[in-house]
Amino acid sequence: MTPATADARARLTEALVRTGAEDRAAFRTLYSLTSAKLFGICLRICGERQAAEDVLHEVYLTIWKRAGAYEPGRASPITWLATIARNRAIDWRRANGVRPSINIDDAPEIADSAPLASETMVADEDAHTLHECLKGLEDRQGMAIRTAFFDGLTYAEIAERQSVPLGTMKSWVRRGLAKLKECLER
Amino acid sequence: MTDIREPDPDMAAAELALGVLDGEERGAALRRVLSEPGFAADVERWRGYLAALFDLWPEVQPSGDVLARVERSLDGVPAVSTRRWGWPAATAAMGSIAAALLLVLMLQPVTAPGPVPQPTIAARTAPMLVAAIMPDEKGEMVKAVYEPDSGMMRLTGASMADTGKSAELWVIAGDGVPHSLGLLPRGQGMAMPVKPGMRPMMAPGSVLAVSIEPEGGSTTGLPTGPVVAKGALSEV
Repeated sequence: MTPATADARARLTEALVRTGAEDRAAFRTLYSLTSAKLFGICLRICGERQAAEDVLHEVYLTIWKRAGAYEPGRASPITWLATIARNRAIDWRRANGVRPSINIDDAPEIADSAPLASETMVADEDAHTLHECLKGLEDRQGMAIRTAFFDGLTYAEIAERQSVPLGTMKSWVRRGLAKLKECLER
Repeated sequence: MTDIREPDPDMAAAELALGVLDGEERGAALRRVLSEPGFAADVERWRGYLAALFDLWPEVQPSGDVLARVERSLDGVPAVSTRRWGWPAATAAMGSIAAALLLVLMLQPVTAPGPVPQPTIAARTAPMLVAAIMPDEKGEMVKAVYEPDSGMMRLTGASMADTGKSAELWVIAGDGVPHSLGLLPRGQGMAMPVKPGMRPMMAPGSVLAVSIEPEGGSTTGLPTGPVVAKGALSEV
């Protein structure tokens, strides 16, 4: 982790911990540090700006209520926050019966390589290893796992999108995950 | 190397963390989270591995008024009072589920001060549901009474979680998936509104379960800690 990244992470941790103590100023700082990241997540999964902003609103209400439960030692602050955003966005999409769209006009493409060290927020050796291990998978395995994560899709949804039988898709993902596990735990 | 006819490896913990399961497969994996501590730990470990992918997610600026909306919502959040029901004292002496019916009758807030909504017999259409949430090992039973017409659930108090942890209440309906109803305050009875979207799950046969979570509750939307008590809802 570069010193700049470590510094950014420390500032974020402090803002989150102080938000847990109901500090509104810290909450505004937290919002300014994280809203673009969390909105990117909501937008990708919800597929449209208006819904994504409604979900983002709920995400920050949840963060305000739950920040007191954040344990700095257990997860990086951005992982904790991003997980809330991803889960909320997926809940929204499923509750509203919105079919995951193939073309998302507003959402930018996900990069397909490991981020630069200066851009990482989760950032530690584990992260580097995951990106390395993903590269070692067959293309279709890696693609299916990435689609599941970034678009918040179930097996049935990825299979439909890729026009692949459900059993085949499950097999790709399971074998990919098994290989990933072997690589990560090496 | 890999024989094509070889069965797929069991990657259920990773699949659950990744979010690809649905329906019965998801239900089965969630039941393993509840029953196998090692499995729950695997799911956590996978969540940690996959979190590295968040770094690749591109940032997009939301419109300028989202923060203002959030702040307005925070200012408008009404304080929740659990005092008006006077429940813990009234139920402290009751030891069995047989007392639940009496309890339901007692809960009619005939003398309650303030603007307590007064459910009337004539207006009631759906029967109440009760559950005895029994601890797996030691500890107190929690009694739950759910009133479908108002969507309110009332619970007796218990201290299931140690200091620094929270007891979270879940409902598991036909889909086999736990849905969070909220946190149980330590040692206090409480009244909680069940969100409209979750009310259909509050049906006879649905299971109420309590898991032990980090303070403030699970951040994943699913139980992450051990389940310490459960009980099924039934009509009275």
